[in-house]
Amino acid sequence: MDACIAFAQKAVKMHHAYIDKFAYQDSPIHRLDARVKFIVTIVFTAVVISLPRTSVSILFCYAVGPFAVLVLGGVPIGFVLKHILFVSPFVLVLALTGPLYDKTAATVAFGPWAWQTTVGWLCCWGIAGKFVVTMLALIALVSTTRFEDLLAGLQRLGFPKLLVIQLSFLYRYIFLLIDSAQHILRARAARAVGRIGFRAGIRFAAAMLGSLLVRSVDTAERVNTAMRARGFDGNWRTINRLAVRGRDYVFVSAAAGFIFGLYLFVRPMLR
Amino acid sequence: MHMANELLSVPVAAGTLAVAAGGVGLICRKVRQVISSDKLPLMGILGAFVFAAQMVNFQLPAMPGTSGHMVGAVLLAIVLGPHLAAVVISSVVIVQCLIFQDGGLLALGCNIINMGLVPCYVGYFLYRIVTAGRSSGLRIYVGAMLACVVALEVGAILVPIEAALSGVLAVPFSTFLLTMVGVHFLVGLVEGLITVAVLAYLQQVRPDLVLDALSGRVRLSKKTVLWTLVVFTIIAAAGLSLLASGMPDGLEWSYLERPDQPDFKPIISNENPTISAADELQTKYTPLPDYSVRGSKAAGWTSFAGIVGSALTMAVIWTLASLLRRRQLKCTTHT
Repeated sequence: MDACIAFAQKAVKMHHAYIDKFAYQDSPIHRLDARVKFIVTIVFTAVVISLPRTSVSILFCYAVGPFAVLVLGGVPIGFVLKHILFVSPFVLVLALTGPLYDKTAATVAFGPWAWQTTVGWLCCWGIAGKFVVTMLALIALVSTTRFEDLLAGLQRLGFPKLLVIQLSFLYRYIFLLIDSAQHILRARAARAVGRIGFRAGIRFAAAMLGSLLVRSVDTAERVNTAMRARGFDGNWRTINRLAVRGRDYVFVSAAAGFIFGLYLFVRPMLR
Repeated sequence: MHMANELLSVPVAAGTLAVAAGGVGLICRKVRQVISSDKLPLMGILGAFVFAAQMVNFQLPAMPGTSGHMVGAVLLAIVLGPHLAAVVISSVVIVQCLIFQDGGLLALGCNIINMGLVPCYVGYFLYRIVTAGRSSGLRIYVGAMLACVVALEVGAILVPIEAALSGVLAVPFSTFLLTMVGVHFLVGLVEGLITVAVLAYLQQVRPDLVLDALSGRVRLSKKTVLWTLVVFTIIAAAGLSLLASGMPDGLEWSYLERPDQPDFKPIISNENPTISAADELQTKYTPLPDYSVRGSKAAGWTSFAGIVGSALTMAVIWTLASLLRRRQLKCTTHT
């Protein structure tokens, strides 16, 4: 029985750990304008990506920026690192092909130590390091910005209105539908103990998906009726929380100083 | 197959972002002209359905312990039509990036093209061609199956092309391509099976959803089809010719020429015979290949300083922040 319950729990374990639960806290970082944070994140990511592919040590310096933002924003670092590990497999596999194919010898010196390695390994560490640093930046953005604010900012930056409305609806209903999918999965796990085979598995999954789809279409009809009754005409009206204030200028200049200062002065020394 | 930032160079990322933004913008404008606001909740909730559908997993044969799940682009294109489905899947990819961190911010363009635009349109066209407007069971199933396999395959082929254009990976293009094609053939087969099974279920329960009767579809004009095909052919041809010519891309150029360091030697190994010959020559006649420059005592100490300094900075920031937070907590408990 215990095994049964454990299996059921494992089966319905949430596939994604959603990260924006920290976005509703309050901190100096949370109070910054969404557009400012978005643009800084993009620039940061682009600069990190354009670093030479074998320079690893500079990435440690770049990690300080998003780390500081996360810490100031009150986001637990352990949780973030665990989440990065969770989304990393595809990148790690591709990074690990480096040592297999590029065997040019290279000597790496680190402080008093020096050892022989290959360019492939350096590239591998470079890709993995860039992955961690850019993911830190992305998580720093979304875990300190409410999704509604981010969307409002994106629309102001020129995102198509239809896409913004679509994203708002999507965000509104994701967790509801994930919840009902979890109910269905739990029901299946409670009834099918152990392996059920591929053909039966596909048939069950199809019935689950089909009923979920039908339910979604019906929900959409009801939501539409309810929204029409309240005067929805296809335009999204939000309270404007966007404003670029003094602290945003401080943040932008600090970020720009950090990103380009490292790029111009520290990078040539480290390589 | 979510692309990550690290597998792309900045020019490729910017180019694909521009293509994706242009494509999605165009589709949004066209859709906005055609549909009423009644369809907005439907699109949003079906986007959420895609997320929920990706959680419904099933065991795969011959590989115990692995499980597959649906991608859903083709099913959505069949139910909603390609334009609406493209908008919905693009929004799904954006949310996957922003909320769940699947795929990087700069790779968003690639991911929207590979997993949204291409599968929706390619899949839908194949499905339409096979079903040819009629709705016999067999035609629908064959069409959906073919659409899934080809659509996912085309999307998967784009991944190694984009990575190779970026020149970041060490793995040879052909190996990467074959792996992706092989893996995604299986993924496409499974996707086809589950899509067909869902369509069979829907035909029993809500045949109107399958049979082209869901209002709010956007009809495709022949001209749009033609133009889309032309644009994709040009992009694909340009990409392939760049690869075939072995022309070094932006990143490699920046390696080949470093005006600030006249004695800098390129380290990229390349299929291009001149470059590989140069590499060979260099490894033969220099006592230590050019990394020895980086391995010198001074370079070692600067990198040491960089890493240790960064670690110390992080420790200081963390300590200060936690002290600050503890003080804030104390204040709130006292008052």
